[in-house]
Amino acid sequence: MVKFGCADIAVVNVQVRAPIKLTTFLHNFCTEKRILGVNELSGKPVVLGMPSNTKFGASSYVFAIFILAFVTLASTPLLHYLDLANIVMVFLLVVFLVAFKLGRGPAIMSAVLAVALFDVFFVPPRFSFAVHDAQYLVTFFVMLGVGLTTAHLTTRLQQQALEADNREQDTHRLYELARDLAGASSIDIVEEVVKKYFASQEYQASLHLMNADGNFTALKFDVLTQGLAHSALQQDSLVNISQLSPDGRQGYVIPIKSIAKQYGVLLLNEEPGYQEDRLSVDQRQLAAVADLVLIALERLHYVELAQTKQVEIASERLRSSILSALSHDLRTPLTGLVGMSDALAISTEAKDAKIHDSASAIREQARTMNNLLSNLLDMARLHAGKVELRKEWQLFEDVVGASLKLLKPALSHHPITVQLDAGLPLVNFDAVLIERVLCNLIENASKYSSAGQSIEIHGFLSNEYACISVRDHGQGFPVDQQERLFQMFSRGDAESKQPGVGMGLAICKAIMDAHGGKILIDTPSDGGSIVTIVLPIGTPPEIQPEPEGAL
Amino acid sequence: MSHRGNVILIEDEPQIRRFVCEALQDEGWAVFEAENGKRGLIEAGSRKPDLLIVDLGLPDMDGVEVIKEFRNWSAVPVLILSARTDEPEKIVALDAGADDYLTKPFGIGELLARVRAVTRRRLQAADISPKVTFGDVEVDFSQHTVNRAGQVVHLTPIEYRLLVTLLSNPSKIMSQRRLMQEVWGPNHTESSHYLRIYMSHLRQKLEIDPAQPSHLLTEIGVGYRFEP
Repeated sequence: MVKFGCADIAVVNVQVRAPIKLTTFLHNFCTEKRILGVNELSGKPVVLGMPSNTKFGASSYVFAIFILAFVTLASTPLLHYLDLANIVMVFLLVVFLVAFKLGRGPAIMSAVLAVALFDVFFVPPRFSFAVHDAQYLVTFFVMLGVGLTTAHLTTRLQQQALEADNREQDTHRLYELARDLAGASSIDIVEEVVKKYFASQEYQASLHLMNADGNFTALKFDVLTQGLAHSALQQDSLVNISQLSPDGRQGYVIPIKSIAKQYGVLLLNEEPGYQEDRLSVDQRQLAAVADLVLIALERLHYVELAQTKQVEIASERLRSSILSALSHDLRTPLTGLVGMSDALAISTEAKDAKIHDSASAIREQARTMNNLLSNLLDMARLHAGKVELRKEWQLFEDVVGASLKLLKPALSHHPITVQLDAGLPLVNFDAVLIERVLCNLIENASKYSSAGQSIEIHGFLSNEYACISVRDHGQGFPVDQQERLFQMFSRGDAESKQPGVGMGLAICKAIMDAHGGKILIDTPSDGGSIVTIVLPIGTPPEIQPEPEGAL
Repeated sequence: MSHRGNVILIEDEPQIRRFVCEALQDEGWAVFEAENGKRGLIEAGSRKPDLLIVDLGLPDMDGVEVIKEFRNWSAVPVLILSARTDEPEKIVALDAGADDYLTKPFGIGELLARVRAVTRRRLQAADISPKVTFGDVEVDFSQHTVNRAGQVVHLTPIEYRLLVTLLSNPSKIMSQRRLMQEVWGPNHTESSHYLRIYMSHLRQKLEIDPAQPSHLLTEIGVGYRFEP
């Protein structure tokens, strides 16, 4: 029950549902001395209850007196035609109507006044209070009873109507909120909508969303509130922060979270300047709002996710189509160049040494260009991080053998020794890519060492790793630049006469990284260099021994 | 030069067609060119070819489709031209019935060697030779024996089956899947590491330098090849 200076009205049920509006309304009502209000939404008049005290209900009392006076005057001529019992009915009707329209106070007054007027003006002897006929006491009590009962019933009905009306308003407002949130296309709009919703209840609302790391970034968010926000999210229940407000304003931290994801909190503070007669907000209402906000945020989240995915797919498609177009468009003329220069070289071999040499040179240049192109395309694929490893359990023997066969023409000036230690297990890797690494390393070894210098390839186990090292006896890598060697477009000696743009080692590193392996460079004291690729062994599949049997 | 037979060359790039065509003509082949798959299939149907050379990237249809269609009515050798990075595509083409592939860019020497290899097999298929020799190894199919430099080499049944499968397809690339299927049976095509282990055994027993084999060759990402 809320005490107003002006009236004593039962609003127990009402206060929780639409407290502020009602308070405002009653405030207006009290100062303007109006009985009837107007429902803001429906435009229908709403009767809010009757003041029980003459000071503020004066107009209704005056109105009641005026009616009674009018009825008395109007009934006087009828005295000669009607029975007293019928005239008293007219008075009873007035009391009933007054009670119905004006409330309890005027009803009581009307009952008293009606009996007095009836007694003075109609009951003989007229114009006197001589109550020798005590039976009119019964009339008085009946009138009083009718008045009080009517006033009570009317008030209750009005209260119920008001309550229903408020409930309907609440539902309508929530519906509107839901509709607005459904149309919200950004988080800012969601916040705007929620702000607007609570503004009508004189609350300041603000939406605080967590960033990807699970922290709140909003500027006006002090440490204490941050802590409360986190605990609200953890407990999944709203936290009342009224105690924290220096001027005793009410406030809440409402968690916005789904089962899968924590989005953030809704912070609610009573607007300043509204101190007195604070009403608590309904927690169920807040929960409903929180749910609606969650749905909106979740929708936005998934829309964003879908859009990002789409953009990703589109850019991936574009990238790979550019790569394959580039690959095709550049390889086709290179194929022609290699083939035609080769044909020319063959046809002129015995006839014209000059042309033959030129044609052979063109062919080799075209092949070099093709290698560069392969490296470039590989690097583009590896750099995008989209290389799909086709890992299988492989033997080093296969890749080493295949790499050497591929490079055979280029290695004719170098003695090659291969040593693969006994007991090398199956290792899980993408054979095509590791072959690429080995080709690059062996090619480098031959490129940076003079003719006749040997190249040694060694496959061995070291702890949990299977390694292949490629050793040359050439100039070796400059000691101070070893880290830089793995960067794109870097070479040991920037002015080196050797062809190549230094992508080789960068590609090797990228491929080894993708395999969870390493590439190591060593410059032994007796010259040359050793490049070792290191692959984790993992758990190779068991090989069932073949059952014994004769051919 | 003697007439070796007819070649259908299906390739959309005129410059590539030009030098392939010239190189083959110099070797005595009659070459019929087609710039797309449809035209190529028509040529193949009317020219009684002895060899089909197909580029996998054709403007009107996938080279693999051309091979599949061609294989519906012909067992003539098919050589494919493909870019380097497309190992899965090569496997698909081999499974569709291609006999071998050439990786772009390629020289005349490689082209002619491949062409000779795929067409020689066709000739060999006719005469059934009970013995095959490569390096210092002699395999006698009728006796089921393998000799190396006069010494008997002991092979397990699987090793022998693998060797025989490779030997009966000289110079032909055999995809991992195909080898697994022929040696281990159709239910074992997934555990290809067995194939690698047994290939390794064969090399240990038959190659002079198993790490640099000259007969039992690995085609990385695709399969194996026996080079006599």
